[in-house]
Amino acid sequence: MPARYDLREQQELIGSLQPAIHLPQNWNYELSAPLFKAYMHPPHDVGGQFDVPVQYEEKEEEQWELDTYVTCEVLGWKGIWNSEERRRRADNDLGYALYLGIPYYGRWILAAARMLVDKNHISLVELVEKIAEVKARNAKK
Amino acid sequence: MPKSKSAKKLPPTAGKARFNVGDRVRVKDLPNLFYSRTQMYVRGIVGTVAAHTYQDVIPEDEAFNRDGRLEQYYIVRFRQKDLWPEYPFDNDTLQTESPERWLEPA
Repeated sequence: MPARYDLREQQELIGSLQPAIHLPQNWNYELSAPLFKAYMHPPHDVGGQFDVPVQYEEKEEEQWELDTYVTCEVLGWKGIWNSEERRRRADNDLGYALYLGIPYYGRWILAAARMLVDKNHISLVELVEKIAEVKARNAKK
Repeated sequence: MPKSKSAKKLPPTAGKARFNVGDRVRVKDLPNLFYSRTQMYVRGIVGTVAAHTYQDVIPEDEAFNRDGRLEQYYIVRFRQKDLWPEYPFDNDTLQTESPERWLEPA
């Protein structure tokens, strides 16, 4: 069980990730048409969007990233999803906060996991229990 | 549940292309809901058809695993100055690709 202090710290971190960094938003009763349009904007990797300055880093792919890539390709090759569905799930369905906050291949593996649960190839309980099992195994090392 | 691969039917073809190379077209500004591949910065802007590319299903169908119907895709050429008013060079252009349903005659 997490200590109460850790829980409070985690909750504050979650609060700081609310999608509207510039405008505080919390289950608005009313929404202007432009703000609704802004929320509905589907982010994608095709440019033309304003961005903040980011530090460019030359970085080799890590093993988990290569594994993720191969897993996603194999799921495509097996006909479980197509490339457009992958874009939709990894770029749009996750929402803007996750789109901006999660590493590129992190979005891919989240999208793949969600797709497998959505399509009933694995159950969420099965997946969560497996993750907990692997975490516990790694903690012992 | 996943669809059977063997039962996959080819979608009907698009028939004759509605626009010719050289035609002036405007990109529609349809509402965004769940998925789109049409960039915000070309919406409502008039460009010129530069080429026919191929026929394919549209992203809005394919993203949800619908076979849909094949549509003609076009390369559309825009003046950079039309896209970005502060752009400094008159002759520069930008090309992007669009399926037929996102274009209207201008």
